[in-house]
Amino acid sequence: MSQNRQYELVYIVAPETGEQEIADLHTQVEQIVQRFHGTFEKTENWGRRKLAYEIGHHKEGVYVVETISGSGEMVKEIERRLRVADSIIRFLTVRVDEDQRVAQRRHDERKATQARRRTARGLPPEPQPGERRGDMDEEDDRMEGVEVSR
Amino acid sequence: MSDERTGGRGRGGKKDDKAKGGERPRGGFFRRRRVCKFCADKIDYINYKDVRLLTPFIPERGKIQPRRISGTCAKHQRALQTAISRARQLALIPYVTD
Repeated sequence: MSQNRQYELVYIVAPETGEQEIADLHTQVEQIVQRFHGTFEKTENWGRRKLAYEIGHHKEGVYVVETISGSGEMVKEIERRLRVADSIIRFLTVRVDEDQRVAQRRHDERKATQARRRTARGLPPEPQPGERRGDMDEEDDRMEGVEVSR
Repeated sequence: MSDERTGGRGRGGKKDDKAKGGERPRGGFFRRRRVCKFCADKIDYINYKDVRLLTPFIPERGKIQPRRISGTCAKHQRALQTAISRARQLALIPYVTD
């Protein structure tokens, strides 16, 4: 596939569904991914969670998060399948690779400027533990606690 | 900064002018300077699945807290907006609470 995009797929399964059915849904998704030559990265089962609002008489749901990469066609097919499945009460697919790239770049830029400024001040490029003011404050707090207890 | 000079009110007069954010020069109102939480904590990606991160920006009613109150910068408010609407679709956060 020419397109290789990373997606995060979250779906909510009705709470009365059995473990086996949830596992089946997962394998279904995995099969579609394989058929479209995508790669399956990871899956997370959050378990049963209370919904913030009712979705079709359901007050709870089992949340499953899958990270997959592949083409848009693949996502289309997965979404079609999920729409058909009765036990799925809600799903959401989000493309994440672009956002993560931006976040990573910002992180790297910040690290680079920090290192540059620190070397300009004649310090080692990485901050040492216990050097930052925040760390000092924490220490102060601890000291205060000691005084109080005495 | 230059306002202090043009004000001509002597230096002994009001030392705590800056602390009040300059909005209310007199009166007992003490306003803390608002800082964007995401800039301060260096959060690059506002994850929609992280409910603990989002809840401080959703008051009682369930609406998104405006920038003028929370102090979030424009860039992060935009990212926050999309994160909240995604979380709402997944029923992690309510649309409205009565």
